[in-house]
Amino acid sequence: MCDHKNIYLPQLATIEAIIDETPDIRTFRLVFQDEAVRDTFSFRAGQFAEYSAFGAGESTFCIASAPTRAGSIECCFRAVGRVTEALRQLEVGDTVGVRGPYGNSFPIEEFFGKNLVFVAGGIALPPLRTLIWQCLDWREKFGEITIVYGARTEADLVYKRELEEWEQRSDVLLVKTVDPGGNGSTWDGKVGFVPNVLEEAAPAAANSIALVCGPPIMIKFTLPVLERLGFADEAIYTTLENRMKCGIGKCGRCNVGNVYVCKDGPVFTAAQVKAMPQEF
Amino acid sequence: MKTITEQNLRALVDALISDGKRVVGPRVAGTMTLYEPLTGGAELALGELPRRSAKETFLPLCETILTYEQGKEAVHLGDVDPVRLPETVLIGARPCDVAAAPVLDAVFSWDYRDEFFLERRRKTTIIGLACTGGDDACFCTAMGLSPADSTGSDLFLTPLKGGSFRCDAITDKGTALLAAHAGLFADGTGEPLPLAEPALGALDLEKIRAWLDGHFEDPLWEEIAARCAGCGACAFLCPACHCFDIVDEGGTAKGARRKSWDACGFGKFTNHASGHNPRDVQPQRYRNRIMHKFKYYVDKFDQRLCTGCGRCIRACPVGIDIAAVLEEINDK
Repeated sequence: MCDHKNIYLPQLATIEAIIDETPDIRTFRLVFQDEAVRDTFSFRAGQFAEYSAFGAGESTFCIASAPTRAGSIECCFRAVGRVTEALRQLEVGDTVGVRGPYGNSFPIEEFFGKNLVFVAGGIALPPLRTLIWQCLDWREKFGEITIVYGARTEADLVYKRELEEWEQRSDVLLVKTVDPGGNGSTWDGKVGFVPNVLEEAAPAAANSIALVCGPPIMIKFTLPVLERLGFADEAIYTTLENRMKCGIGKCGRCNVGNVYVCKDGPVFTAAQVKAMPQEF
Repeated sequence: MKTITEQNLRALVDALISDGKRVVGPRVAGTMTLYEPLTGGAELALGELPRRSAKETFLPLCETILTYEQGKEAVHLGDVDPVRLPETVLIGARPCDVAAAPVLDAVFSWDYRDEFFLERRRKTTIIGLACTGGDDACFCTAMGLSPADSTGSDLFLTPLKGGSFRCDAITDKGTALLAAHAGLFADGTGEPLPLAEPALGALDLEKIRAWLDGHFEDPLWEEIAARCAGCGACAFLCPACHCFDIVDEGGTAKGARRKSWDACGFGKFTNHASGHNPRDVQPQRYRNRIMHKFKYYVDKFDQRLCTGCGRCIRACPVGIDIAAVLEEINDK
């Protein structure tokens, strides 16, 4: 029996469901095996965890499910490396390790009463999806909700079933898009890059918060669009996706200047991001 | 004043080992001197600065943080309890090595507490040794330390002419050790041997920090580090570098998760899964090394990640000299 706290020891969780989002992106729904952990585990939208495939190691992803939906958590990953390939080999009923939640979160209370504009690209929807669902569960606390989401092709869109659900809701405006050439014959969304489609949708900046997650190139071109639309840097939030290992401010890997992304982030305003050395 | 003869210092090592303690000190290992567990006082070799730093006493190159056994039905995790680590005495450690230990306490104890490091720190009594050797690469004085600095030591030895050592208890741990082995120490006086004289004098460390603050983009990084081989020797030999990786070793069925040294000079250190690398060329990595040591860590913990031991200078295969870099910044 150990009487110390091993901060590197994960909790065990069972894969309750596997959803193939795209040919190479997969969602796990995870249930903690320890009943006490299952009952007490809580997190805030924007936080991340370290997920283990034992024998391969740990990998960092956001917690993609909503904090308002207890009982299980979800993560979403693309199989690109040793750990994610090993995770991909797992089946329903298998065990993974989960260490977390870590990092800061979206200050959702500060968004109450405001319009929300979510802008996401490709596999970067999961860090916003956690917040989107929380906001939809607390729908009356927010003004208009706009979601602009794009991927390279129709096949690369994640959470397709939820996109349909959001599309059908009268209290959400979903603008979905694919890159030129990424559309099939039945595609009913926009064709064009996310920043351009966002500019065309032109959500009002007054009393609005923009939440942006995507590949660096998308963020780079989206921030000027938001600026043109009238969004202040303080009203734009994003998450930095630096490589992390320990997740708890020890291993020295994820820093951007003085900022330790795993502890001070991953959620930052555009104003904070612009104040950092441009090394991310 | 308490003193101890060299013979009794060796006897102290034997006594500590007899007491069941792990004693780590400089010993000759092949062609070099290394801090290693001693099997007896006869092995203690105080003549030269050990090739590697003493940080392994607290932060092993590789340590198991958990074990796993994975069957079809379940995974069993085995915790690793640092409480089981033996009481340790680090003896004969140079001030440049000893001073790094309290510096590292800061990162391993803020917010989440890394008990693997902290329990080793708690369980270790440090007997520091004033430095009478040194070479051209030494620059402890430039870092605000000195060859006679007892920072981090529990008991501090100062070599005296004639071969004995003056003993100063610095902490309660040191006092306790002195009391527990009182018979080996004597009251006495003596003239200290001349201390080492590092070549590099004082630097204006605040000025250096201020310069770094405003020169993230500067030709200096390219000038210095274009030739950096990214071998990581500087980080591995440094008493204060503490970056680590976490890896699983063993098969899928059974194995261990280990924490092992890593270095920001390695090309893949910050490589994203996507292939994007925020520090994809060596000058960016070297800049991070300098920034981390003399700005980022100072900003966060009010401590510098450098004690001027000079090992990175001695070991660098392409001759990058951190003291010269600091001097250059200092003179700007």
